Amino acid sequence: MEHLTILENKSIFIIREAYYRFKDIAMLWSVGKDSTTLLWLCRKAFFGQIPFPVIHIDTTYKFPEMYRFRDEYAKKWGLNLIVGRNEGQIEAAMGPGKGSKLDCCNELKTNALKETIGKYGLKALLLGIRRDEHGIRAKERVFSPRDENFKWDYENQPAELWDQYKSTAAEDNHFRVHPILHMTELDIWRYIKRENIPMSELYFSKEGKRYRSIGCAPCCSPIESNASSVDEIISELETSNTSERSGRAQDKEDAYTMQKLRSLGYM
Amino acid sequence: MIHMNDTPKLLVIGLDGVPYTLITDYIEKGYLPNFKKILSGGFRLHQMDASIPDVSSTSWTSFMTGVNPGEHGIFGFMDLRPGSYKIYFPSSRDIQAPTIWDIIGGTVNNRNSALYGAYKTSINNRLRSIVLNIPQTYPAAPMNGILTAGFVCPDLKKGTYPEYAYNYLESIGYVPDVDAAKAAEEPDLFLKEVFSALEKRALAYDYFFDNESWDLFIGVITETDRLHHFFFDAARDQGHKYHDLFVSFYKRIDEIIGRLFTRFMDKTGGMGLFMTMSDHGFTVLRQEVYINSLLREGGFLKINKQKEYFEQIDTGTKAFCMDPARIYVNLEGRYPLGSVSAPGKKDVIRELKDMLVSLADNNGNPVINTICENGDLYQGPSSDKGPDLVCLANDGFDLKGTLKKEEVFGKGQFSGMHTRYDAHCILPGNIEMGVRLHIENLAGIILNYFSKERTWNT
Repeated sequence: MEHLTILENKSIFIIREAYYRFKDIAMLWSVGKDSTTLLWLCRKAFFGQIPFPVIHIDTTYKFPEMYRFRDEYAKKWGLNLIVGRNEGQIEAAMGPGKGSKLDCCNELKTNALKETIGKYGLKALLLGIRRDEHGIRAKERVFSPRDENFKWDYENQPAELWDQYKSTAAEDNHFRVHPILHMTELDIWRYIKRENIPMSELYFSKEGKRYRSIGCAPCCSPIESNASSVDEIISELETSNTSERSGRAQDKEDAYTMQKLRSLGYM
Repeated sequence: MIHMNDTPKLLVIGLDGVPYTLITDYIEKGYLPNFKKILSGGFRLHQMDASIPDVSSTSWTSFMTGVNPGEHGIFGFMDLRPGSYKIYFPSSRDIQAPTIWDIIGGTVNNRNSALYGAYKTSINNRLRSIVLNIPQTYPAAPMNGILTAGFVCPDLKKGTYPEYAYNYLESIGYVPDVDAAKAAEEPDLFLKEVFSALEKRALAYDYFFDNESWDLFIGVITETDRLHHFFFDAARDQGHKYHDLFVSFYKRIDEIIGRLFTRFMDKTGGMGLFMTMSDHGFTVLRQEVYINSLLREGGFLKINKQKEYFEQIDTGTKAFCMDPARIYVNLEGRYPLGSVSAPGKKDVIRELKDMLVSLADNNGNPVINTICENGDLYQGPSSDKGPDLVCLANDGFDLKGTLKKEEVFGKGQFSGMHTRYDAHCILPGNIEMGVRLHIENLAGIILNYFSKERTWNT
C-alpha cells in the first residue's frame, strides 16, 4: 500500500474507534493545516457528514483570513460548528499586550476550551497534533487522558503497544485523541496535495514571505519563502532543516522567562 | 579505593544566595556538622563580594568567566536591544567571554577575555567538565562534557548537552526550577517542591559524579535562593511558622555536601580541590523601593501607559532604571527618544546622585549605601552596554526596576533580598588571596589549579 494510504487508514481507524468509544466527542479545528487535514479525514471516515461538533476556540486575535476560511468551509461542509470563547476575559480586554503572553494563551485558549468542554459535557476531543512538531509532543499517545485540572500526567499514561489503544478513563477526566500523531509536516503537505484539501491562503508566499504555522496574528511570524503553491511548499520542506514552529518558539521562551522572573519579583 | 590520577580534579558546589553570615551562625548552632568537619580539616570560610549588580545572571556569569560584566556583557536578566527600548532576555549566547569549562575543554571558539589570555598557553585544554544548574547557561552550547542549564531554562532539552544527559535527567523527573509563583498562595506545596527539587538534583549529581569521567565538576543548588526570597525571615526567627523547615532544608544540604565531599576525597585520594561558593548573600527585606517611581517624582522619567515594558519611556525622559538598580541616562544617539546630550550627561548624573543619596524612608533611614558609576565598575568591550549608575542599598531596602508602581516604597510577598557583600566561599586554607575575595577571582583559582604553572599546592 502507498505510504499516504497507510497513514490515512490508520487515522481513519482511530477516528472511528474514538467515535465508537465516546459518543460525547468533538473535534478541535484551529483552521490551521493540521486540523484542517484532520477535518478532512473525519469527513472521509463518516462519508462526508461528521456526526459530532467541530469546535473553534476563538481568541478574537486570529487572522481575518482564518475567520473567512472557517465560515466558508463550515457552511460548505455542513459542519456543526461551535465557537468557544472566554467572553469574560475578552470583555476584560485580555490580550498579548496585557499581562504576559502566557496569561493570554491560558485565558483565551486553555480556559475557553475548559469552559466549552464543560458546557457541552464532552468526554473526548479529537486533536490534530503531530509527533514531530515539538519535543514534548514526542511523548504523546494516540489516546491521551487529561485530568479535571487539564493536567497531562505524561509519566503515568497507559502503554500503547501494537496499536492496542486504552480508551477508558476515570469519571472526571476527558480523553484527547490524536488521529494524525504519526504524520510529519511533510506527510501533511503531501496528503493535502493528493486529496486537494483547501488551505488558508496564509500558507502561500506573498511578497517573499509565508506562514509555516498559523495561530493568533500578534504571536505568529512569517518565514522568508517564495513557495506559493503546495508543490513548492513540499519541495521547500524537503530541503529545509529549521523547525516548523521556530516563529513561535522564541515567543514561548520569552513568555516563560518573563513569568519566571516575575515570580521572583523582577520586571 | 583510591584512584590516583595524573590530572587533578576539582569539585565546586554552588549554593545560590547562601550568605556567609548564615553559614557562620548555623555552624555555631550545630545545624551544619559536615560544614564544621570540612572547615576543621584545613578549609577556610570566606566572606565574598558578588558582582554589581548582585543578581544571579550577572554574578554567575562573573563566576564562570572570571571577568567583570564590562567583559562578559551580562548586566541582568533583562536588557534592551541596542538603539531601542525593546526588552530581551540575554541567554548564554550573549556571554562575550569564554567560560572556565570552555577554556579547559578546548571550546573557546573565537571568544576572548583577559583571564583566557593569562592562561591560554599554560592550560591543559582537553579536560572534561560536568556543569549542572548554573544560572545563565541556557541554551546549552556544545562543550567537552555535560551541561544542564540553570535559571532560566524554558526547555530542559535545549538546556542540556549532550542529548543522552537530557534523556537521563528526563527519566528521573529532574526539574530545572521550582514554581515560585506558588510560594505566596500555596506555601506548603511550594516548600514540598523545593525539597523535592533538591533531592532530584542530589540524585543527578551522584549519578554524573559516578558514571562520567570528569576533571571539573560544578553542581549548583538554586533552591536556597527560592527559599530565601520567600522565607528568609524564618532563617533566624525561632517563632516563625517555617523556621524548623528552613533549618531542616539547610541540614539536608549539609548532608548532601558532606557526602559529596567524602566521596570526592575518596576518589582523589585527598588530592582534589574542593570548593563551595554562592553568587550573593541574603538579608531580611523590610521595604521594596521602586526607583522608577522616584525618577518620575523627580521629573527624570516620563511614561506612556499605552505601551508596554520599557517602550513606555516617553519624550522628555532623562533617566530610567532596570532591575535591580541599574540606572541608564536617556542619551541622544543611544536611545530613540534620547533627550540628554553627551555634554549634558554629567549634570544629569550629578542631579540623579543628589536625589538618590538623600532618599530615606518614613523614619529617616537612608536607603542608598553607595552609588557606582559605570567607569568605576566596568572595564572591557561591553562596558558601553552597561548602566550609567548602579545603586547599592542598605540592608533591608530592596531596589526594584519595575515601571508598574506609583509609590516609591512598598512591600510585596518577598521576605528576603540579595546582598552583595555577604556571599560565601569555602576554599582550602593554603589558597591565600591576600585581598578580600570577589566572585570574579574564583575562575582564576580554578584555572590556576589546572595550569602547568600552578602557584600553590593542595
